[in-house]
Amino acid sequence: MATLLISLHPEPFSPHDCLASWYQSQAAAHDVASLDDGRAIHPDRPGVAAGPLTGAAAAGGPPAGASAAEAAAAEAIFIGRVRGLTSAGAALEALELEHYPGMCEAQLERLAADCARSHGVLAVLVAHRVGRLLPGEAIVLVAVMADRRGPAQRCCQELLELLKHDAPFWKREWAGGQGEWIQGNTPL
Amino acid sequence: MASEIQVRLFASLREQAGWAQRGFSLANGEPPATPASVWRQLELGPLPISVRVAVNQHFARLDQPLQNGDELAFLPPISGG
Repeated sequence: MATLLISLHPEPFSPHDCLASWYQSQAAAHDVASLDDGRAIHPDRPGVAAGPLTGAAAAGGPPAGASAAEAAAAEAIFIGRVRGLTSAGAALEALELEHYPGMCEAQLERLAADCARSHGVLAVLVAHRVGRLLPGEAIVLVAVMADRRGPAQRCCQELLELLKHDAPFWKREWAGGQGEWIQGNTPL
Repeated sequence: MASEIQVRLFASLREQAGWAQRGFSLANGEPPATPASVWRQLELGPLPISVRVAVNQHFARLDQPLQNGDELAFLPPISGG
């Protein structure tokens, strides 16, 4: 069973800081797991998943005898950033991201757990912005640890597509003082 | 006794309707109320085929029977990531 870490960020976040905290949390999860007969527990750890809208779930622990960070031979990372142009080609002033509080976090956890299970990976991290974003800001981070590159990359890609279509987020592009809700997603 | 649910709208649906959340009384009897029947009674026009529904924060079918205390949400096309 994989360890899941899900967080929503109302303010700009640094994907690289998120990743650094994730590595620390993986090592700490191992410490907890080793004290609890292999069952991982995910206590809230300030700084691990920054932002007030945070959910953390552990569906199991890393392999006995090693933390996932030590054991993972493969890691796939995707970082998505806000484009400088709207879908109509105008200069983007801002991107507004609305979400359904509660369902959004729960749905991200369900999608991550299903995806992790089907690909047999060790750990999954999802960090997603909400609120008003500026061009160039990070909007989503998905990272997956696995024993092989195939499961890591496939899980990362599949989870990204799933959250684009099945997690309740809505984008509105602002340009020229006008906002327009986006219908659907950009092509893969 | 009348049953009451909460109805929530998001994004473009919320702005078109002019409200985000409201209580809604379900009529007792058969057939039971469903997301589709509630939408008709909201008088917000035809339900766009691209709109999905969630009941108690899980995706649900348009014909799922509703119960007292349910939270029903109408979700326009999702665009995350």
